[in-house]
Amino acid sequence: MELRRFTQPNKPTNTTTVSNSEIAKWNILDRPLTRSRDELALSTFSFLFAEAVQYLQTRVQQVSELEDKLNQLGYRVGQRALELLYFRERINKREIRIVSILGFIRVQLWKFLFKKSADYLKKVTDREDEYYIEEEEPLVNRFISVPKDFGQLNCAAFMAGIIRGALDSAGFTASVSAHYIHRAESSRRAVSIFMIRLEESVMNRERRLAG
Amino acid sequence: MSSSTSRSSTWNKLGDAAYAKSEKVSADLVALTYGSFVREIIKDYEEPDQVNKELEKLGYNIGIRLIEDFLAKSGVGNCSSFEESAEIISRVAFKMFLGIRATVSNWNNEYNSCSIIFEENPLAEYVELPPEYSNALLYSNMLCGVIRGALEMVQIIVECEFVKDQLRGDDTNEIRIRFKEILQEQVPWNDEE
Amino acid sequence: MLYTLFVVNKAGGLIYQQNFSETAAKLSSNDYLRLASTFHSIQAISRQLSPVHSRFGFGIERIETDTFVLQAFQSQTGVKFVVTASPETKNLKNFLRRLYELYADYVLKNPFYELDMPIRCELWETMLQRAVEDHQRASS
Repeated sequence: MELRRFTQPNKPTNTTTVSNSEIAKWNILDRPLTRSRDELALSTFSFLFAEAVQYLQTRVQQVSELEDKLNQLGYRVGQRALELLYFRERINKREIRIVSILGFIRVQLWKFLFKKSADYLKKVTDREDEYYIEEEEPLVNRFISVPKDFGQLNCAAFMAGIIRGALDSAGFTASVSAHYIHRAESSRRAVSIFMIRLEESVMNRERRLAG
Repeated sequence: MSSSTSRSSTWNKLGDAAYAKSEKVSADLVALTYGSFVREIIKDYEEPDQVNKELEKLGYNIGIRLIEDFLAKSGVGNCSSFEESAEIISRVAFKMFLGIRATVSNWNNEYNSCSIIFEENPLAEYVELPPEYSNALLYSNMLCGVIRGALEMVQIIVECEFVKDQLRGDDTNEIRIRFKEILQEQVPWNDEE
Repeated sequence: MLYTLFVVNKAGGLIYQQNFSETAAKLSSNDYLRLASTFHSIQAISRQLSPVHSRFGFGIERIETDTFVLQAFQSQTGVKFVVTASPETKNLKNFLRRLYELYADYVLKNPFYELDMPIRCELWETMLQRAVEDHQRASS
């Protein structure tokens, strides 16, 4: 279940002596990772995601647990997506500063997964270690109406998990959570924000780099 | 024969059109989300057989809903026979939802069982099974459930099973479909005693 | 002018009802339920009248009266969309097809909706309202 390793195997020189299972293995490794795959219907993703939400929902008692599980589901996606994106785009330079990795996630990673940049990246005033990414209509929520008895549940917790996974895999440990915010004087739907809080160790490193 | 060829090309066109007009997401997002979901199920069930069963069940839940999306947007009229349904699944539904076209073959003599074969599996992109699962886990088993659920909603009862899976070292991916029965409509006055 | 929408599940249970006009007849919720299941039965029975037996004919599609028309659409899975409107109202068939698509999107892709149960989805309401406005704009 691991993301395949990003090494190119040497091709077997004499395929006739290779057993069936070995041939199959080569086939998997030969699949061109750099090919930009076709896109798939949003419907496919939405049904899959809806089923995942239902599956997780049967295994929790509380809304907060459901959010944790969605976050965890997204975490694994974010981790792998970042690796894959670096490999695809042949990016060798790794971001080491907080603002640049967050910008990379907001633009490149978002485009890679959701075909658009996230709407805004902002710093929380007076908090050195907190940022947020704002998205008016998170893709995963497109068809979802959360019932009243689920309180403030935001299924975009999955996307918060993606951010957390990507950050972690880039060496920025953080907690990330999704929230709805209702803009005053606007009758439109609530927008979603992803609150990002970086760990102390990350902040210490940042201070050194800034120093 | 010529009429079946022309029907096939009609279905191919419907599949292409449905795929072309649908709103898209990145195929990577789908593959990675599927992988993460499977991982979650493995965590909960551990035993490959149980995981396979659960994947099929979750697929069924998807299938009974996805069929309406298919009927609403694909432009396919009705699935009248089992044979026709198999063709529609591989030429229209696979294209619409997975971006690939599958082929139907290996019909048995009674014409009540066939295979849907596809070379490329967008769900299994970037996956290598760990050794302890490589012979037991049916990674894409959700597809079997989707087919079973979707057909059940149009009154066609089938059983589906993965018989070949590239992740397990097979040369292709093959889902065997066995036809069971067509549900007959209940006439309302018979049960209103 | 559109009057009333019913969505009926494959077992004849009313899963959604909405009036679009002040002039729509107002019935009790029990009456709506009864109407849905009666219409479900009549449709099934009317299929028996067809000289050609087909699994797909869905029986009565349209009923016309002096004061309103009733147009019905049924998917092959058995879910039915039924709308009543003033007699001159056009494009009811297309309107119902559009509602079927909205149902596939905003009801069935919502993980909090349970199949065959009453529809309570905020986004479905929003999109339905939009479809009704579009229909009214197009036919006025």
